Amino acid sequence: MTRVKVLLAIASVAMAVGLWFALTAPADTLQGDFTRIINIHAPSMWLAFLAFGLTALGSAMWLIRKQSRWDRLAQASAELGVMFTAIGLFTGMVWGQAVWGRAWDWGDARLATTAVMFFVYLGYLALRGATLDPTVRAQRSAILGVIAVVQVPLVYFSVNLFRTLHQTQSIRLDGITMPREMSIAILVNVVAFTILYAALMLARIDLAKAEERVAAESALAGDAVKPPRLSEVKDV
Amino acid sequence: MDRLIDLERVGVSLGGLPVLRGVDLSIGPGESLGVTGPNGVGKTTLLRVLATLLAPDAGSGSVLEAALGTPDVYEVRSQIGFLQHRPSVIPELTLAENLRHAATLVGANAAKAETALRVVGLDDVASRRADASSFGMLRRTEVARLLITAPRILLLDEPFSGLDVEAQELIRALVYRTTSDGGAVVMVSHESGQLSSHTQRLLPMALGSLDQQS
Amino acid sequence: MSFWSQTLEIARVDLTVERRLGDTMRIVLPFAVVAMLVFPLTLGVDLTAVSRLGPAVFWAIGVLFGMQVALRQAAHDDHERRDLYALLGVDPAARFAGRTISGAVLMAAFLAVLLVAMIVFYSPRLPDGWPGPVVLSAILVAVGLTELGTLAGEVTAGLHNRTALASLIVAPLALPLVIGSSQTLEALARDAGILPWILVLVATDLALAVAGVGLARPLEEASR
Repeated sequence: MTRVKVLLAIASVAMAVGLWFALTAPADTLQGDFTRIINIHAPSMWLAFLAFGLTALGSAMWLIRKQSRWDRLAQASAELGVMFTAIGLFTGMVWGQAVWGRAWDWGDARLATTAVMFFVYLGYLALRGATLDPTVRAQRSAILGVIAVVQVPLVYFSVNLFRTLHQTQSIRLDGITMPREMSIAILVNVVAFTILYAALMLARIDLAKAEERVAAESALAGDAVKPPRLSEVKDV
Repeated sequence: MDRLIDLERVGVSLGGLPVLRGVDLSIGPGESLGVTGPNGVGKTTLLRVLATLLAPDAGSGSVLEAALGTPDVYEVRSQIGFLQHRPSVIPELTLAENLRHAATLVGANAAKAETALRVVGLDDVASRRADASSFGMLRRTEVARLLITAPRILLLDEPFSGLDVEAQELIRALVYRTTSDGGAVVMVSHESGQLSSHTQRLLPMALGSLDQQS
Repeated sequence: MSFWSQTLEIARVDLTVERRLGDTMRIVLPFAVVAMLVFPLTLGVDLTAVSRLGPAVFWAIGVLFGMQVALRQAAHDDHERRDLYALLGVDPAARFAGRTISGAVLMAAFLAVLLVAMIVFYSPRLPDGWPGPVVLSAILVAVGLTELGTLAGEVTAGLHNRTALASLIVAPLALPLVIGSSQTLEALARDAGILPWILVLVATDLALAVAGVGLARPLEEASR
C-alpha cells in the first residue's frame, strides 16, 4: 500500500499544479472561460484510451500466458477506463451545452462513438460481474477485452473520418494547433491524470489480490464445516 | 389427531400418464415410513402429494386433517417439511441469510438461525453464499431450516444421497426429533438398506402403487 | 406471520438479490440506454425529428426493456424455490405483492435513469410543469409493468421458453400503460387535462393488483 500512498500524494500535487495551469492559461477568444474544461475533458479521454488499450494488452497476455496478474491488469484498467470515459462524456456535455447550446449533438461522430465505447466497456464489466468462476471470468472477459479495443481508434479518428461539430485533434505528431500556454496546461494535466491513473491502478490491483486471497481462503471451507452437535438438535 | 396422513385410493396423472394408482396410506403420530423402489415408480410424486403440492386426480386423502385438493391445505403447509432431491435455497443469499429469511417468514425468532447453524456445524461458514457452497453444505442448511420450522410431517426424498456420515447422522437426529415430538416421517429412497435403519416400517413401491402386503 | 410482514420480507430479499446480481442496473439499464442511441443514429442529423421523438422513445424503450426488469425473477424461479415458499406457509398473494413492490422500486429507478438519458440525448421540448405528471405516470407505469411481469411469470412457470413467452404475454397487455403515460405528456403539451390518462394508469394498476392477488392461489396450483 505504501507505493500507492506515495503515488497518490504525487498525483495530488500534480493535479493541483495542473489546476493552477488550467486556471492561469489564457481563455479562448471565442469560447471564453468555458475552454478551461478542456483540461479535464481531454486528459480524461486520453486516459480512457490508454486504459482500454491496457485492458486489451492485459487480455491478450492472459490468453497467451494464463497468469492472473494480466487479468487483474485488464480488470483494473477497464474499470478506470469506464470512469474516465464517464468524466470525459460529462465534461464534454457541459462544454457542448455552453458552447454549442446543446449538451448532445447527434451530428457529432465523436460523441456518438464515445458513448458506444462507454457502453461496450460497461458490458465488459457486467460480464465480469456475472461470471463467478475466476478462470472462466478471465477467459471470457479477455476475449471481449481484445475485441472491444477496436472502439478506441474508431473514437479517436472519428473526427477525421466524419466532418462533424467536434474539433479535430489539436495536439498531433505533426504539430500543435493551439496557443502555447493552453497546450502546456493540457499536457501538464495529462501528466497529472496519468499519475492519478497509475495510483488508482495500483490500488485496484492490490485490492484484486486481496480479493483473490480471501476467495482462496474460503475455498478451504470444507475444513471449516464442523461435526454436527447431535445432542443439541432437540434444543433448536 | 388420530391419523396425520390418510390416503384412500389416490391416483395422480402427470402429462396424461398415470404415475400413482390406487395408493392407500395411513400414518399416525410418532410413525416413520420408508418407501423404496426403483427410479420412475412414483416415489417423488407420492411425496409431493403428501406435501399437498400436488392434488390427486382420483381417490381422496387428508394431511393433518386438511383434505387434499381443497383450500384447507394452505392452513397446514407450514407444518410440513420437505427435503427434496435438489436443495432449495436462494443462491445469492448466504447460508445464514437463507435461514434468517425462512425464520422470518414462519414468524420464528431470527436468532434461531444462528443456533441451528451451530448445531449443524456450519457456523464458521455461515457468511458463505449458497451458490458458492457444496451440496453437503446446502443439505445441512436445509436440515437447519427444518430444525427451525419444526414440521409435524417430515418428507425426505433420497436424503442420504451425496452426504457424508456426519450429515447422515444429522438426518437421523432430525427424523428422531420429529417422531418423538408426535410427528410423522416419510422417507423415500431406491436403497432399502438405508431406509430400514432409519424408519419403523418399509413399503416397496412399484408401478405407482404401494405394496401393503410387504 | 401477517400478510404484509411476509410481503415486505419477500420484497426485501428480492432487492438484496438484485443488489448482488445487478441484473437491472448493470445489464438491462445500459442495454436500454444503448437502444435509445439507435433511433437518433438512424434519423441522421434531423434534430427536430429527434427532439420530437424523445418522449415516445422513452416510453417505448421503458416499457419494452422494463419487461425484462419485470420478468427477471421468472428466470430464477425454479419449482424447488416455489415449493419452498409454499411450505414456509407464504401466501401466494403475499409473494405476488412482495415481488410487485421490489420490482416497482427497481423499475422506478430504471425509468428515472432512462428519463435523464432521454433528456440528454434527445433534447426534447417538454411542456411547462412536466416533472410532476411525468414522474407520477412513470411510477404508475413501474407498478403496472411489474404487476404484469409477475403475473406473466406465474402463468408461464415451468415452461422451457418462459422468458420469450412471458414477454409476448406482457407486451400487448402493457399497451394501456404506454398509451396512458405518453398521452399524459401530450395532454400537458396541449394544455388539456391529464386526469383522464392518469386515471387510465391507476385503473390498470388496480385491475392488475386485484387480478394478481385474487388469482395468486389458482396460478400457483396451475404451475405444479
